[in-house]
Amino acid sequence: MSTEKEVLFGLYNDETELMKAITVARESHLDIMDVYTPFPVHGLDDVMGLSESRLHIAGFVFGALGTLTALGVMSWVFTRDWPIIFGGKPYFSLPAFIPITFELTVLFASIGMVVTFYTICGLGPGVENPILDDRITDDKFCLAFDTNGLDEAAVGNLKGFFQDTAAAEVHLKTI
Amino acid sequence: MNQFTFTGKQKGFSIGLMIIGVLCLALTFMTAPEHHHARFWTNFLHNTMFFTGISFISMYLLAAHTLAYSGWHTVMKRLIESFTMFLPVGALFFLIIWFGTSNGWHHLYHWAEPGITNPMAENYDRIIAGKAPLLNQGMYILFTTLLILFWFAFALGARKLSTGSTTGEEGLANYKKTKVLMAIFMPMGAFTSAFFIWLAVMSIDAHWYSTMFAWYTSASWLVAAVALITLMLIYLNEKGYLTEAGQSHRHDLGKYVFAFSIFWTYVWFDQFMLIWYANVGEETIYFNTRLTKFKALFFLNLGINFILPFFVLMRNSTKWKVGSLAFIAAAVFFGHWLDFFMMVKPGIYESMHAHGGHAVTISEAGHAAHGSAMELGWHLPGLLELGTMLGFLGLFLFIAFTTLSKAPLMDSNDPYLEESLHHHAS
Repeated sequence: MSTEKEVLFGLYNDETELMKAITVARESHLDIMDVYTPFPVHGLDDVMGLSESRLHIAGFVFGALGTLTALGVMSWVFTRDWPIIFGGKPYFSLPAFIPITFELTVLFASIGMVVTFYTICGLGPGVENPILDDRITDDKFCLAFDTNGLDEAAVGNLKGFFQDTAAAEVHLKTI
Repeated sequence: MNQFTFTGKQKGFSIGLMIIGVLCLALTFMTAPEHHHARFWTNFLHNTMFFTGISFISMYLLAAHTLAYSGWHTVMKRLIESFTMFLPVGALFFLIIWFGTSNGWHHLYHWAEPGITNPMAENYDRIIAGKAPLLNQGMYILFTTLLILFWFAFALGARKLSTGSTTGEEGLANYKKTKVLMAIFMPMGAFTSAFFIWLAVMSIDAHWYSTMFAWYTSASWLVAAVALITLMLIYLNEKGYLTEAGQSHRHDLGKYVFAFSIFWTYVWFDQFMLIWYANVGEETIYFNTRLTKFKALFFLNLGINFILPFFVLMRNSTKWKVGSLAFIAAAVFFGHWLDFFMMVKPGIYESMHAHGGHAVTISEAGHAAHGSAMELGWHLPGLLELGTMLGFLGLFLFIAFTTLSKAPLMDSNDPYLEESLHHHAS
């Protein structure tokens, strides 16, 4: 992560103030970088105007892949590669394949979604993730703006916004 | 509007349904007198079982939610409560079936035939004689009518506590009492319901048994009950009641329909696969009959109750939208009614045909299709069956609406109401 970023962020004392601030920011067309909260805040997605996550589409695709893998491999093994009769059942015994198909569907969907999620968020082993302020994992609610390439007037405008919305603290940090 | 009024239109509608039901039952009784009016009695048993089960499982849902400190359901607590008031009707109907069993009005239960447990008698059946300690008239009345009344006592108690508080403090005290009541009811209801299911439905195929059967049946009730709660909530919202229960509550009900449909499929498949895999003749004959002679019903059941809700309710938006949710709820409600149809009908159809002087053997059952045309009322529900279902539904709704109109729709003294009003899912 060599690209440095200048971030201006304000810390709020509770989520209702944060929500109000986000509404004001969106009304005055300020480009919010991200919002950090110590716990999931209900209704935050709606206020931020985030569209529904598409992670579950990836989940469906991975799950379907798991289903096909399990059915395909078992069918091939038990009808072509190494047919064995178990308990007088036909080579292609769909009911016997269902439990493993179910397991592989769940396995593929869950692992696939974790990998997708980590990739999207840029997380992974060895990745350093700068944290804006330690207290956003405890009791502070953070609203951050990316100030790269902004002139002083624009930054001043953002600072004024934080003042208007009664942010408890405002910091500028390079990450 | 917090006070539901049971309008004349709704009264007329549910009474109309009941009249259709009574007419259909009477028609069935007159037009199909074969084998002691078997079609009539199976329809009666089928619907009684289905709607009593929904009533019981609604009480169970209340118990589970109360004990889990659930808050989101509180806004629709009264709606779920109103479903439990069908229990005494179920008890009465089972009393009628029991009278029929002991007086030979019908031959629903093979184990009830006179002489079947007597080694000297011609029709002595060693297997049934071995099961006689459970499968007998006394046990039947004990685990159907009396058991349902026992459950109803809890339902009444819970209802009294729920409607009995006038202040928030009383509400809290009553809530704590409800918790104790539900904690007693939950294990009792769970364990005893298995006996109810064994005697009322599984004993139709008296030679056969499955340890998964009670699970499977109660899972079917569960989906049907949640689907009916969903439909009723949507209906009440349309009429301007309970509008506090909005998208988030619908979303959670949608998740329930989705999740319990998958749970149902899981137990349905478990029962099937264990029996299929073990390949024991006494057990596989049950599925052999259904897979060969009741093929359409068998796969229709899986299609409506698994494939349809699974693919439609997978997305969030289909759980929010009233249209798609109502459609799926109606479909699975009907689907589980079909599921009970298939639990009741094939066993009696087989014994009817065995009664006609030719016993069905396994090899014969293998050549299923030979000459056996699909009979409406046995292989698929006919109009008379659908009419009977509407009649029972009318009675169920009449009781539910009456109960709803007797108390405010929301219990403002319930300590969890506030949480329920602010419920936010997704």
